[in-house]
Amino acid sequence: MKYVILIHSNPQPWGHPTGDFVAEQRDLPAETREQLNADFESVLEEMSARGELIGGEALADPASARLFRWHDGERLATDGPYAEGKEHLAGFFLIDVESPERAEEITRNFGAPGETIELRPAMWPGGDAD
Amino acid sequence: MTVEQVWRTEAPHVLAALTRRYGDFGDCEDAVQEALLAAAAQWPREGMPHDPRAWLITVAQRRLIDQVRSESARRRREERYAADALDGAAPVGVDDSLEVLLLCAHPALTKASQVALILRAASGLTTAQIAAGFLVPEATMAARITRAKKTLAGAGSRFPAPAADLSARVGAVRHALALLHTEGHVRSSGEELSDAGFSGEAIRLARSLWRAVPADPENAGLLALLLLTHARGPARTDAHGDLVPLEAQDRSRWRRDLIAEGVAILEAVLPVGPVGEFQLQAAIAAVHDEAASWAATDWPQIAELYRMLDLIAPGEAVTIGRAVAVARTEGPAAGLALLDPLAGSRNHRVAATRGHLLAELGRTAQARVALEQAARTTPSIPEQRYLNRLLHEMA
Repeated sequence: MKYVILIHSNPQPWGHPTGDFVAEQRDLPAETREQLNADFESVLEEMSARGELIGGEALADPASARLFRWHDGERLATDGPYAEGKEHLAGFFLIDVESPERAEEITRNFGAPGETIELRPAMWPGGDAD
Repeated sequence: MTVEQVWRTEAPHVLAALTRRYGDFGDCEDAVQEALLAAAAQWPREGMPHDPRAWLITVAQRRLIDQVRSESARRRREERYAADALDGAAPVGVDDSLEVLLLCAHPALTKASQVALILRAASGLTTAQIAAGFLVPEATMAARITRAKKTLAGAGSRFPAPAADLSARVGAVRHALALLHTEGHVRSSGEELSDAGFSGEAIRLARSLWRAVPADPENAGLLALLLLTHARGPARTDAHGDLVPLEAQDRSRWRRDLIAEGVAILEAVLPVGPVGEFQLQAAIAAVHDEAASWAATDWPQIAELYRMLDLIAPGEAVTIGRAVAVARTEGPAAGLALLDPLAGSRNHRVAATRGHLLAELGRTAQARVALEQAARTTPSIPEQRYLNRLLHEMA
């Protein structure tokens, strides 16, 4: 089953890895930060080795987004950001795993202070009728 | 047979021959895969060799030796292989393509890895073809197969499988093939459903399992089940690719040839006993397939078969099937009562079934809540479209 892991964050200034630019993580002892990074690297490596990682990208500053809307019967493009909220979509990973439990086990390792990690199931095109 | 069918049929035999001689399943599998790729490049252009199996074994053997030579520890490994080869071939008592299946369904592997490995080692599909079927990139699938082979090597699995746990291992093969068949008709979308794909491959392998171990009646049960389920394939989706539930399927589109074959296999094996879960599931599928309509279905028999299935292989899917059948024989309220123990389940099929039964009882508001929950939680796009349509029609 496929899931998307969405990293919601607000690095200041915008940068990757986001942890280096999030106040809550900058304030952590160096040791703790290293541990967080190590956890993340090891889960990424494990996912690749197990054939669970399909892909992912780090995203550019939300201010660099272009937004396309429908306005007065026409398509209208404006500059971002899309939302003024505190957190923005900073990156995503697409995974394919055996079970919801495994998806949660993986995603737990992505969590870090000052950020929200969202695990969303992907829909698939098939289905069984009986 | 097309040239591709020939090399795919030969693949497990070639792999078995190499593994028996050289011992290392992982290395041999890589070599066979390369030989298959060579066949794919040469046979269509230059014609099929006189003895395809011998051709593939020769090419695979050459690749295996090249591979071993190119490695730094080559002397040690060559010595080991030479020693293995001197041990001679293991006594042959079992079909060698069965041995490949048994190894692929090794208990150290996850179900998903077993299925991926079966498709490569026993079906002779390329990693790219398997990846396309599972809708993942080739690199992702390659990592899974590599890992599965490493796990096998780590588990010290040898060839052939020890006779002691043969029946348990054959059981694992059955479950892997059933999963492969389901993946085939569940994963693919729309027009792809007409293509046999993984489901057709599962049937081919179930047939060879049945031929290799005819004494186990569950092997006949599995083959019958797959044929009887596959028979409904053409009616499972409509022209738009939307899902058609069994209740509404155009039964004239069911494959009568597959139904006849499945029923014949089942009728021959049922009196043999013992009756296991695959025979019971096949019997349920047969009752559906032989009914002229949903209403004319022999529901008391289906309810009884599900009751028996619940005793030997209980699970949510069995409870749901039983509830549907009991609703037809004793009324929707009795069916609903059977679902009560599953009240806390997050399975969307439980919610969908509850919704249908509540609607029949005229408890429309509660039915809507259950169907909305099912529509929200199903991961299947066609199923969600179907449930949303149903909710729209109820409004």
